[in-house]
Amino acid sequence: MSAVLVVHGGAWAIPDELAEASVDGVKTAARKGFVVLRNGGSALDAVEAAVKSLEDNTVFNAGHGATLNIDGEVELDAIIMDGRTLNCGAVSSVKNIANPVSLARAVMEKTSHIMLTGKGANLFAESVGFSTVPTDTLVSEFERKEWERHKTYVTGVLEDFNTQWAHDTVGAVAVDSSGNVACATSTGGIRNKMVGRVGDSPVIGCGAYADNFSGAVSCTGHGESILKVTLAKLILSHVEQGESVADASQLALQYMGERVQGAGGAITVSPSGKWAATFTTQRMAWAAAENDVLWSGLDPNERKKENLN
Amino acid sequence: MLPVVVVHGGAGHIPKERAENSTSGVCSAVRSAYLVLQEGGSSMDAVVEAVVQMENSPYFNAGCGSVLNVKGEVEMDAIVMDGKTLGSGAVSAVRNIANPVQLARLVMEKTSHACLTAEGASKFARSVGVPEVSQESLITEYSRMRWKKNLVPDANPVECQMGKMGTVGAVAVNKEGNVACATSTGGMLNKMEGRVGDTPCIGSGGYADNQSGAVSTTGHGETIMKVTLARLILFHMEQGQSAEAASDLGLAYMKSRVGGLGGVVTVDPQGNWAARFSSRQMSWAAAQNDTLHYGLYTGEHFRRSFSEQH
Repeated sequence: MSAVLVVHGGAWAIPDELAEASVDGVKTAARKGFVVLRNGGSALDAVEAAVKSLEDNTVFNAGHGATLNIDGEVELDAIIMDGRTLNCGAVSSVKNIANPVSLARAVMEKTSHIMLTGKGANLFAESVGFSTVPTDTLVSEFERKEWERHKTYVTGVLEDFNTQWAHDTVGAVAVDSSGNVACATSTGGIRNKMVGRVGDSPVIGCGAYADNFSGAVSCTGHGESILKVTLAKLILSHVEQGESVADASQLALQYMGERVQGAGGAITVSPSGKWAATFTTQRMAWAAAENDVLWSGLDPNERKKENLN
Repeated sequence: MLPVVVVHGGAGHIPKERAENSTSGVCSAVRSAYLVLQEGGSSMDAVVEAVVQMENSPYFNAGCGSVLNVKGEVEMDAIVMDGKTLGSGAVSAVRNIANPVQLARLVMEKTSHACLTAEGASKFARSVGVPEVSQESLITEYSRMRWKKNLVPDANPVECQMGKMGTVGAVAVNKEGNVACATSTGGMLNKMEGRVGDTPCIGSGGYADNQSGAVSTTGHGETIMKVTLARLILFHMEQGQSAEAASDLGLAYMKSRVGGLGGVVTVDPQGNWAARFSSRQMSWAAAQNDTLHYGLYTGEHFRRSFSEQH
C-alpha cells in the first residue's frame, strides 16, 4: 500500500505576484509531509507536518500571515481528524498560537473533547505548554495593509471571491502505508470578519472529514457556503455511493455552486490511495506526493510533474 | 399531514423527580410551536418558539437550567437552520444571555456569517440590543448541585451526563413544506472552559434541507460530532429511508462505530416524523393533525387530542 499526501494552500483568484510563492509553499509542505510517510509515520503525523509548514509560511492565510478580523486582531481556527477512530480535535477563534493545527491535535489527544474555542482554547494551550507568540509576529505587512484597505467585510468577501485580494485556508489529507487516512485544515478566516466569526474550517464534516471507510477531505473557499452543504461530508457521501474521488469532489462543488452560489476547492484521498485536487474558483495552489512523484497545480486542469527527490 | 412540529428535551437518563417537569415542558413547547404553524407562521418561527420556551424553563439543559462548566459558569451553544435556503446561524460558548437560539437566529439574519463564538457572540448581542443577563439568573440549584458533585476526582461526568439533563431542540415543517431545525444547550456537565459540542456545528447538532428533511440531535456531543449525526440521517433519507428508519440507522451507527448514545427528532417535507433514541430515555413531544404525541421511556407513545384539557 503506497502512501499519498495532498496539500492545498487555498482556493481563490490567486494573483500572479503570489502564484510562484504559493506553489512553492505547497510543494515544500508536501515534501515535508511525505518524508513522514516515507519513514513509516502515520497519516495523522503527515498531515500535521504539512499543515504546520503552511502555517509557518506567511504567504498563506493560516498561523503566520493570517488575515485580520474587523478589530485588527488574529483569530485562528484549525481541525485535525483521524480516519481510523473518527477521533477529532479542533480549535476556533484562538489567539497568539503559531501552530493551531498542533493545538487541535492536543485537544484530540489530551482532552475528552473535540473542540475548544476562544479563551478556553488559549487556557488549554497554556496548560499543555504551548507558547504564545505576540500578534505582531503572526501579522504580515501585506495583511495589515489589506485590513486597512478593506474596511467593510461585505464588500471584502464578495469582492475577494470575485477578484484578487483574498487569502485562504490551508489543508492536507493523507493515507499512510497501513491504509489509515487523516486530514487537517487551518485558517485565519475571512479578512475583516466579525470578532468571533467561525467559518467551516474547524467544523467537523465541513472544513474537513476523515474516515477509513471512505477517505479524507480538506476544503477551502467561501466558508459560509461550505458550512451550508457540509462539503467534506458531502464529498465522502458520494464516494460511499461509488463515485471516484474526482467525480465526488466535482459533484459536491458543483452542488455548492448551484444551491448556495459558493465557490471553493477540495483535496480528497481514498483509503486505496486515489486522490483528487478539485476547485471551482479561478485557482487553487495544490501539491500531491506519491511514490517518487510530486504533482502540483495552480490553474484549472494544470498538472505539473516532477521528481520528489 | 402538514404542519408538523417535533421537540425534544434531551436524551439520557432523566431522574424520576424531574421526569414530570420534563414531559410537561416538551408538551407545552410543542403546543406553542404548533399554534405558530397553524396560524401560518414559518417553520423557523415554530422551532425557535419551542426552543425559547425550553431555554426559559429551568428544567432543561439550555438557557436557564444549563449545566455548568468546570469553573461553575454557564457557556451555551445553539443553532438554527432554514431548509429552504440552507441558511444557518449558530453561537458557541456564549455567556450571559437568556436565549441563545434567538441570538443564533440573529446571526443568520443580520450578519453574513453562520457562526459567532464567545466574546464575539457577546459583542454582536450587544450590537443588536440583546440584553445581558446575570450568570445567577441562568444557574439553578440543581445544576449547581450536579456541578459540585462532579468536581470530585473520580466522578464521571460523561456517565452522569448520559442522562440527567439534556440539550433541547425542535424540527418543523409548515404548510408550504418548508423545514427548519433549532437546537440549544448548556453543553456537558463540568466541561472544560470553551468546550464546544455538537449543538452549534452544522450537520451535527442539527441540519435542515427542504429536499430531505430536518433533524435536531441530543446525546453525547463528541460522538454525535464524529458521525455528523444530523447530516448522516438525512443522507439516509435522501437514499429513500423513512424518517424513522434513517434515524435508527444513524443512531445505531453512532453506537457501533464510536460507542455513543443519543436521540433525535426528525421530520421530512411531507410531514412524516420520528422521535428516536438509543439512550435510556428522551423526553419528546410532537404535534400533527390536532393531536399531541409524547413519550419519555423507550417504546412509549402517548396520544391526546389538543382539544382535551391538558
